[in-house]
Amino acid sequence: MHATKEFNKKGFFKQFLLGLRISKSFTTNPISIEQRKNSIKLSSDLAMAFARGRTHWTRALISKLGGKEENTTMLKGIMGRRYGILMAIYSYPLPHQKVQRGKKIVRSYRFCSGANKRRALKGSCNRVSPSIVARNLVNRRTKVLKRLVPGGELLNGSSLLSETLDYVISLKAQVDMMKSLWKATQISSSRNVELDPSASCQGRKLLMLANSKDEFQLFKKS
Amino acid sequence: MTITSSRITEAEINELISKLHALLPEARRSTRRASAAKLLKETCSYIMSLHREVDDLSDRLSLLITNMDVTSSQAEIIRSLLR
Repeated sequence: MHATKEFNKKGFFKQFLLGLRISKSFTTNPISIEQRKNSIKLSSDLAMAFARGRTHWTRALISKLGGKEENTTMLKGIMGRRYGILMAIYSYPLPHQKVQRGKKIVRSYRFCSGANKRRALKGSCNRVSPSIVARNLVNRRTKVLKRLVPGGELLNGSSLLSETLDYVISLKAQVDMMKSLWKATQISSSRNVELDPSASCQGRKLLMLANSKDEFQLFKKS
Repeated sequence: MTITSSRITEAEINELISKLHALLPEARRSTRRASAAKLLKETCSYIMSLHREVDDLSDRLSLLITNMDVTSSQAEIIRSLLR
């Protein structure tokens, strides 16, 4: 699972640059920084989702982003003629089609809380057993996680965990990609790297120093 | 083990939990207490911090990429990174 993201770096950048170019063609000059930032963020999220392929969270994310009025032109630009088909493929189950929740847990919780109430009424001090507290905590935090992971609300248990794993890996990769783009932009704008052999070689050397280890591996041959 | 293929075994869940634990950055890892609640909390806060980083990077990029045009030299650098 960790290895697959390496191969998607190209895909991510391709999508990301495409997204940026598309958003440029749709906006009027002068563009506000806020708009620019939103376009960059949107391109980046879409690129991450498209580069990953079809998983539960990517479908949820693309549906969510595509559902927003202001994003449709951008999405149409990126997907081109395939917009209709892709949106259908990435369409997400509607909220009412919920996965059956773990009713067993709820029942046993009610059981236990009833027992606890009876114990409290009997005059013993109002102790709640630690396992109940722990379970409450886990339930509460699971709810938070479900809100954070796109499409998480419809998942339970181990599928939620595996989607979270995948999502975190993709997020990390997205952050790394954007960092390298930022560094590349910084270097090229400050040094004004032109496309002649000596300068680009120097530019690459600078990037080697600036970038992380795995990208350094790519440079070993050059 | 009379478990059908659709049931997830506890071993698989433990594997997922340990993978998730391994993903978290060093600072957030407490090797001693890898309880479920702790892991969930750390994962949630890590995801939120990653979201913030993306937001922050978009901010910084929006200042640098002035006219939404990734110039040819930048694209060349990035492509050479990927080769």
